[in-house]
Amino acid sequence: MKDSAFLIVCLGILAVLGGAAVAVEAPREAAGSPRLSALLGSADPGFARALEPREFAFPADHGPHPEYRNEWWYVTGNLDAATGERFGFELTIFRFALAPATEPAPVADETSAWRTRQVYVGHFAVTDVSGRRFLADESFARGALGLAGAAADPFRVWVEDWFLKSFPKSEQAGGKWLLHADSGHAALTLTLQPLKPPVLQGDDGLSRKSFEPGNASYYYSITRIATDGALRIGREVYDVSGLSWLDREWGSSALSDEQAGWDWFALQLADGSELMYYQLRRRDGSIDPMSAGTFVPAEGAPVHLTHEDMALEVRDYWTSPQGGRYPSAWTLAVPKLALTAEVEPVMAAQELDTSVRYWEGAVDVSGRRGARELTGRGYVELTGYAHGP
Amino acid sequence: MHQYRLDRVLVRASWNYLWRHPWQLAPALAGIAIGVAVMLATDLAVDSSRRAFLLSMDAVTGEATHQVVGGPAGVDENLYAALRVDEGFDNLAPVVEEYVDVGDVTLQLLGVDPLAEAGFRDYTAPGSVLGGFELLRRLLTDPGAVLLAERTAAALGLSPGDTFTVLANGREVEATLAGFAGGAAERRLDNLLITDIATAQEWLGRQGQLTRIDVRLAPDDEAAAARLASALPPGVQLLRAAGRTESVSDMSAAFETNLKAMSLLALLVGVFLIYNSISFAVVQRRGIFGALRALGVTRRELLALVLGEALLLGILGAAAGVALGLWLAEWLLALVSRSINDLYFVVTVTEVAPDRLAIAKGIAAGLGVTLIAAAVPAWEAASTVPRLALARAALERRTGRLLPRVALAGLAAAAVAAVLIEISGGNLMAGLVALFLLVPGLALCVPLFVRAIARVAAPLAAATGGVTGRLAISGITASLSRTAVAIVALAVAVSATLGVSVMVDSFRASVSEWLQGTLRSDIYVGVDRGTLRPELVADLVQVPGVAAYSSSRSIWLETETGRVRLTVLELAPESPSGILLRDGEPAAVREAFREEGAVLVSDSYTYRHGVGRGDTVTLPTAQGERTFRVAATYRSYGADLDSMLMSRHTYDVFWEDPRIGSLGLRLAPGTDADAVIERLREVSAGRQALLIRSNREIRELSMAIFDRTFVITDVLYWLALAVALIGIAAAMLALQLERARELAMFRALGMTPRQLGAMVVLQTGFIGLLGGLAAIPLGLLMSWVLVEVINRRAFGWQMDVVVDPGAVVAAVALAVGAALLAAIYPARRAARANPALAMRED
Repeated sequence: MKDSAFLIVCLGILAVLGGAAVAVEAPREAAGSPRLSALLGSADPGFARALEPREFAFPADHGPHPEYRNEWWYVTGNLDAATGERFGFELTIFRFALAPATEPAPVADETSAWRTRQVYVGHFAVTDVSGRRFLADESFARGALGLAGAAADPFRVWVEDWFLKSFPKSEQAGGKWLLHADSGHAALTLTLQPLKPPVLQGDDGLSRKSFEPGNASYYYSITRIATDGALRIGREVYDVSGLSWLDREWGSSALSDEQAGWDWFALQLADGSELMYYQLRRRDGSIDPMSAGTFVPAEGAPVHLTHEDMALEVRDYWTSPQGGRYPSAWTLAVPKLALTAEVEPVMAAQELDTSVRYWEGAVDVSGRRGARELTGRGYVELTGYAHGP
Repeated sequence: MHQYRLDRVLVRASWNYLWRHPWQLAPALAGIAIGVAVMLATDLAVDSSRRAFLLSMDAVTGEATHQVVGGPAGVDENLYAALRVDEGFDNLAPVVEEYVDVGDVTLQLLGVDPLAEAGFRDYTAPGSVLGGFELLRRLLTDPGAVLLAERTAAALGLSPGDTFTVLANGREVEATLAGFAGGAAERRLDNLLITDIATAQEWLGRQGQLTRIDVRLAPDDEAAAARLASALPPGVQLLRAAGRTESVSDMSAAFETNLKAMSLLALLVGVFLIYNSISFAVVQRRGIFGALRALGVTRRELLALVLGEALLLGILGAAAGVALGLWLAEWLLALVSRSINDLYFVVTVTEVAPDRLAIAKGIAAGLGVTLIAAAVPAWEAASTVPRLALARAALERRTGRLLPRVALAGLAAAAVAAVLIEISGGNLMAGLVALFLLVPGLALCVPLFVRAIARVAAPLAAATGGVTGRLAISGITASLSRTAVAIVALAVAVSATLGVSVMVDSFRASVSEWLQGTLRSDIYVGVDRGTLRPELVADLVQVPGVAAYSSSRSIWLETETGRVRLTVLELAPESPSGILLRDGEPAAVREAFREEGAVLVSDSYTYRHGVGRGDTVTLPTAQGERTFRVAATYRSYGADLDSMLMSRHTYDVFWEDPRIGSLGLRLAPGTDADAVIERLREVSAGRQALLIRSNREIRELSMAIFDRTFVITDVLYWLALAVALIGIAAAMLALQLERARELAMFRALGMTPRQLGAMVVLQTGFIGLLGGLAAIPLGLLMSWVLVEVINRRAFGWQMDVVVDPGAVVAAVALAVGAALLAAIYPARRAARANPALAMRED
């Protein structure tokens, strides 16, 4: 696609970087580009920064935080069709501020409705396990003119016709959300019903990415969401149901030079518990000590996990036809919980060939928790592996 | 072919002859060269400006297959959001577009949403990804940030980071060059000023509006097109992008066709010259050819010899013509692009693209006409009877017998032309073909005319001019084999100048009269490309001294038959209308136009679409397609051929567009117009840059544009005349040289060199006079064809033929003058000739 403007590639890079700051805004290897950190500067004083834990309030915090540079709404899930087929999906909406809103904006006597500093990017992917297909699409829009945006009450975040929003009369509906995306090849309409309250990740929702103060984001998840709806692939329409996971994060972090990428695991186990872990990889191949995770038991308080609590072993690799070698099977052990999980992708080719390439795919989990056999499903995100062909 | 290979002796004979008579080659060479040059230069100039236009259209259309366009206000931006968000359409890109000025350079402002541009337009330079992101960030966040192609920036003397002033919709705004678009060597983004859509809207004062929405659909996806079309509100259309480019570029098509046709004139005159030169070269060697035939050279070999000479001549001439044409094209390009800018659309073109095809076409035309022109003399050479060198007298007798036949053939060609005009309806090409048959055809009758006159005139000349006069005039008859072709060439060239100048005069008179009738206000106030700021209008019409005002607003409508320029008029209640009607009862038309929602259509529209008084037209209004009654046809000489007039009253019913483009102010009696203009300038100062012009200024400006358009025509026919002049000179020279013995005899018999020179001058002058006289009816006929056939078919304009006696006299004077000029050298030569030597020659 010679026409795909590289402007947009860059935007994508930053959006993914900015939004996918689960771990680190690690510089992506965009065709040997210079460091993005050099461009963005270590900290734009115009943006608010995640420096210390804050008071979270819902539903207000489901809405946007435009004073921070970047933000994301990230829904992944595993679905089963009534007819037996298996699917995975991802709908992510990134918000990215090109400049702090506080900067004076000199304009003509009447400001155009297009004038904005907020840009939104959507990523929508469907994994058709039975059909061995992976369908991904990307869309961009500015946060103006109703083309894209986010609002807290009623909750709504959207990029053009892709959206995540609270059900009309959400109170009576028990806090249900509605999700919709359509890429032409695939279309998904889901009702989301959270089964657990939001889990604050890191230090009461402050997720530190490095030792530098302010190099952090606010991060919460809803780890178990009952999901049902309809999925269309091509001309086939499936009634689907399953479990989804919501990740929410915002911040203005600068990029850390040493970090190369991350591996993120969001596993939903059959016993009603969930395990999240992100491992930050450094350029020298070592694991960043800021890597962290959370174990959410079926009942009771979440357990914060540090890098020392985890043991992650890669058992297999997959080479992308676009270039780059990804890990594709893991053993993830949490000795202090007596938990060992074998994690395997439902299929290898779940790489999004969007403006920034990364792997985001449905996985199967099997293993043990103490003496008990363990099964589950989940999603894994792998960034920083896509080196040019 | 092998067996026809020319013998070395034959080639040497040919070479020796041509080498000893280089002057004989010169006119033919010049004829071919100038003919090819003019044709090539015009082709290149027209095609270069067209290509520049298409390139700029391509750059702004990008990969769009369709465009969503609205009425005068453009497309509501909320429609775009609704299509994207509610209807879920992808592959749409909003565009806000307008011409703006930076200093005296016009640029095309292209306001886009960079986030929606993927797959539409490519501004990328092979370079840094980060630079790209930074540009995007600046476009979106810095109001006034723009991108320019590196070449354009260099031409404007701008470097990244520089700020500069842009005149947009009559207002000065500040732009900052954020960076370069495209690669350094690329041309496709030349003269584009790329900016974020928000900046474009704010600069132009078009908040809420888009010029259009670009659409990219899979080829032949009719279903998607239909689905999109059905989602559009009334008054908004989905058009094919290619069709739109075509309909814009079609606006200038007739103009370009006419230019190219004109350029063939020089080549046509060149044909006669080539014929003349070759046939002279053949006739002069009739002795040699006779001898060669006697030595066993076959007819075919002689034919090949002469055609070979012609081919050599053609190659040399065409090569010189290409070199000359490339040079001439640079110069012509400025004229052509300026006229296109004056009349049709903005096209900025600075370089001639030396198109191989055009060059090949020029060479082929040069060689083709050379061979065709040489065919007859070559055949003549091949027909030489062995040994028997045709005596000159015999030759003249043959020519004498031939003249009526040639004239008959010419008449036949003219008759074909007349039939062609009659049966070809409105076809422009057929009209041009007819023109090219008619004028040379009739010109072929001129030698017969010259002979007849000379026969009558000889006794008269004897009575008045004595021996010199008699010899001069009777010499014409005796030398028609030499001079006839030159006379024809002269007649064609002079009749062309006369025909074109009568056409231009008629046109000019019609336009001038039309302007007089149409411009009924005292002062006109407008904006260069844009509309008047509404709050300013109220203040302008309040200026003391303004008694009444009318307003106009011009918009483009995309109809099934192409683009239509709709001009909306609000006429001052008591003022004369300023609309010159072709038909209809004025009071009734006025009533229908003002009160009953009828429209008026231009001459051109009526001619081109056969729609006139009593018919209806369907126009896309803001409420969807609506049908309007046509009250009358009005006179118009606008370059926008498909034009209509509508009253403001009617317009307001079907469109929601209160904006106006210009005001016509009528002053109270006794008011000083200059004082009012001064006041108007004060009122508008700092608010909007207005074009304020008095009635007289507008008329002068219009006529200046008119005259500028015909500068090219002038250049083209002067070049044709130059070719004819060379032809006459060459023919006379050849004649004098051939008659060297005869002239020497006169000298021996006691004629002074002075008398001899006078005789040559008199003879040539008389030929010029006869050629000029013959050119009068021919020229008038040509002007009639130009006015009634060519202009009508090309543009639909109607004008009255006005013959300025001065132009007729000038044409004859031109012919005589050209002939006398051409006589100077032959006369001097004849006078200086050494009679003894001359008589011994041959």
